Amino acid sequence: MNTTEQSNPNPVTRRNFLRMSGSIVAGGAIASLSGVLMKNSLAGETDYFWQIDPTKCTYCGRCETNCVLSISAVKCVHTHKVCGYCDLCGGYYRTNVKDLNTAAENMRCPTGAIKRVYVEDPYFEYTIDESLCIGCGKCAKGCNSFGNGSLYMQVKQDLCKNCNECKISKVCPSNAIQRVPYAKAYILKD
Amino acid sequence: MKRILSIITILFLGFLASTTTYAQDRFPRPDFESGYQYPATHYAIPNETLWLFVDVFLLVLMMGIVAWAVIRKRTRKPVFWVSVISVAYFGFFRSGCVCSIGSVQNVALALADKSYTIPLAALLFFILPILFTFLFGRVFCAGVCPMGALQELVNVKNYRIPRSVSAVLGIFPWIYLFLAILYAITRTGFIICRFDPFIGIFRLSGDIGLLIFGALLLLVAVFTGRPFCRFMCPYGALLNLFSRVSIWRAKITPSCINCELCHKACPVDAIRAPYNNKVKESRVQGVKRVLLYTIFLPVMVTVAALMMRSMSDSISRANNDVRLYDMVQGEATPKDHPVPELESFYGAGGTVVELKERVDVILADFKLYATFAGGLIGLVIGLTLLGLSVKRSRKSYEMDDAQCVNCARCFSYCPQNKIIENKIQ
Repeated sequence: MNTTEQSNPNPVTRRNFLRMSGSIVAGGAIASLSGVLMKNSLAGETDYFWQIDPTKCTYCGRCETNCVLSISAVKCVHTHKVCGYCDLCGGYYRTNVKDLNTAAENMRCPTGAIKRVYVEDPYFEYTIDESLCIGCGKCAKGCNSFGNGSLYMQVKQDLCKNCNECKISKVCPSNAIQRVPYAKAYILKD
Repeated sequence: MKRILSIITILFLGFLASTTTYAQDRFPRPDFESGYQYPATHYAIPNETLWLFVDVFLLVLMMGIVAWAVIRKRTRKPVFWVSVISVAYFGFFRSGCVCSIGSVQNVALALADKSYTIPLAALLFFILPILFTFLFGRVFCAGVCPMGALQELVNVKNYRIPRSVSAVLGIFPWIYLFLAILYAITRTGFIICRFDPFIGIFRLSGDIGLLIFGALLLLVAVFTGRPFCRFMCPYGALLNLFSRVSIWRAKITPSCINCELCHKACPVDAIRAPYNNKVKESRVQGVKRVLLYTIFLPVMVTVAALMMRSMSDSISRANNDVRLYDMVQGEATPKDHPVPELESFYGAGGTVVELKERVDVILADFKLYATFAGGLIGLVIGLTLLGLSVKRSRKSYEMDDAQCVNCARCFSYCPQNKIIENKIQ
């Protein structure tokens, strides 16, 4: 121990010197990194929200089961302007049902979230009860296969936790879930 | 727990942004005679600008409080309350997104891919804790990070992990960091976010495996300080570097009486006890040995780089496009049920040639970046071993600045600190 101190009279100074040069390198790194990143961040519009592009969505049903929330933040939305107000609705009834009544076995929606209201002959209005919707996409698939496609899936931004990386986007077979800017937080049909 | 939202409504009727035409117009839109009006629907959008402001304000404020408490006042109480607030706000209320640990991936992607714009929140959450660490030591880890704070709050007992074991386990954060960057810049995914053990606890829901893992980590954290921070956290690895060269830092009480109470109180083993090096070795011999290991270092780097390069093929299987290509190749064997990936791929008019071109680029990227990552992992392993081989004598207790997370537990145990405190009062 003594020999070490004799042969190296100023160990603290050397350590301090190393530390100081380290500080300078680290400070420079922080300054340049924040400069580059700031430039990047302010250059383009930040895409902040996750949203489903309804033109790409294939209604595979993975939104229901892959969201980090126990009940998915993805819900079915309905654009009434696109809807045909059909009596025989592909999103409301299952295919090949025997009797057109509201018995559970005839319903497309597993939770009964679609409300059907008579408007005038022969039109019926359909609305989604969001509190019941689980985002399985069955009605949207039916509507897009047999109807106008007025039912489709969207991420509800008030429910979405806005994960740094959306878990559903990683399992989406058609890459339909992308980041969107604030102005396009919902991609709606019209 | 619901977010309080500032709600902006988008009216259906006024929304004319969409330019795409939709194929399904099978039925004409009805002309209503009864004067039926389309129901107005609005969808809520949270005001992210406001939240960004609140988040960053609290982040800076809490790091400031910790720095003041640790460096100026040398007391634990404010740090404890910062931990409680952080777990409540950043953890449970804001559900832990976006966090500094995950922001590493956004930064890596932004640096590698010019087409990616980094969200301002991710940028600030990345750079601010690093800046504060550079100035005051790891004040972010102390209690501002909700994950560190959670482990800190459950910690009761400090069973010590042997130095050699904790040094070897300390390599894992670096491996995790390099892998996360590799997967981020190849646009494969954000593995730090995906395998976050505590986010499920904060959200009270999530993947059952990760929830169990998080609970186990917390259980371990009861008996030994911060297992996640020390042996897993990739952002902690970065802060560890900056903490070594920080300008101001927590210090051992100047009038130390070598009572070892702080050493026993430290949950992360950051206070080194006095140590008399028994190895009889002349200085020249020691220098020679260290030089020998240093020469050995490039060998380790090369070996690790080549190993990772050879593994790059299997590592790349995590990429969605690579997997899709595998599925397309394996399609010759008929399947009973249709695969949604293939349906969407062909449905969108994708061609195998185009996909192959894309996948080839990804595979080349993987090969290149995996080599770099391997080299860096080799370097970290080599430097850790080198660090273990150097034994320095210490006459008094010393702070390991790289490990210290500024939890301030030591201050409340230090008898000399109590005297100073009383004098101030």
